Amino acid sequence: MTLAAISLVSLLFSGTCAAGEGASPLIPLGERKPAPELKLEDVDGKPRNLAELRGKVVLVNFWATWCPPCRREMPSMQRLYQSLPKERFEILAVNIGEDDGTVFAFTGTLEPSPTFPLLLDRDSGALRKWPVKGLPTSFIIDKKGRMALRAVGGRDFDSPSVTAQLRALIDETR
Amino acid sequence: MTGNTWCYLFPTLRRLACIMGMLLAWNAHAGEGETLAQSNPETGLESWKATRHGVILELAQLTPDQSRAFFIGRGFEPAEAEHYAAACVFMTILRNEAAPSAIAYRLADWRAITADGRALPAKLKENWLKEWDARNLAPARKIAFEWSQFPSEQTFEPGDWTQGMTTFTLPRGSRFNLEYRWTIKDQQQKNTLKGVHCAHDVSSN
Repeated sequence: MTLAAISLVSLLFSGTCAAGEGASPLIPLGERKPAPELKLEDVDGKPRNLAELRGKVVLVNFWATWCPPCRREMPSMQRLYQSLPKERFEILAVNIGEDDGTVFAFTGTLEPSPTFPLLLDRDSGALRKWPVKGLPTSFIIDKKGRMALRAVGGRDFDSPSVTAQLRALIDETR
Repeated sequence: MTGNTWCYLFPTLRRLACIMGMLLAWNAHAGEGETLAQSNPETGLESWKATRHGVILELAQLTPDQSRAFFIGRGFEPAEAEHYAAACVFMTILRNEAAPSAIAYRLADWRAITADGRALPAKLKENWLKEWDARNLAPARKIAFEWSQFPSEQTFEPGDWTQGMTTFTLPRGSRFNLEYRWTIKDQQQKNTLKGVHCAHDVSSN
């Protein structure tokens, strides 16, 4: 196995440009159903529980470091995180099947680097409770803990259209 | 420093290269449903893309060495990675770019039509997982494998898309047309990606 081959595969897996995230909005889910359970430790060993975030809008993102669109969308998630009020919005980025060292090695390369919680789902047990068939998949959970919006495939999370969708959820009173 | 390294280190350059590539692709102008074939000037690898009724499918060759590298990077033993690399592998992207509503696909419905007229299904990840169970693949490796593969079925609203690896049990260098199908509002749609071929093994070069 040559270093060149590994470099090539990195380039190929990370460089597919036909599937740009673009500014596609998130998909409204119609009838809002309660979000499945999500209780995991983050990369610092701190327990995190989606159920304890009622009253906030939460972006739940399932990802892995080897997943090209996951890698591409993460900086836009951080920019979104910085643009919305912390007391009303949270992100839980759930890594699938990897360890903290692998996650840190990746996030250390990002600009901006994520400051939102990075959760570790080492055995993919948490993921399997959610309606996910591929990575990345993201859900926006409303203030009552219901799934309101969904994105299959990467998105540009700080695009004006997505930001407006999230602000509307943060401001809604129903 | 090679061009590849520059692209890898500097995403802006890669994005510019992508934009240039897309512009060139548009200049090539594949019509509705027609296959646009491209060759990466840096790697020599080929890809095929078609758009029909707002649905885009793209296949890009993965060489056996690339498949080995990916899975060894995920902790696979060399023999395990070799087992996968023996297949005909493509990075596959399907996108609901502009269909009027949600689309659904089942990978089991797609067929590789070979030059001698055989219609072969893709090897689904469920088939692979049975083989990995028989080989006692470590759980962490199995998770990485499962989620790196193109989902066997999926529903996409406009704007949704997915990317993953698809495999066919065909010899390296094999040529085929890929008949792929999806449904929209219970109506079956199909298109053909023409002139697809499996990558050769260049690891000995």
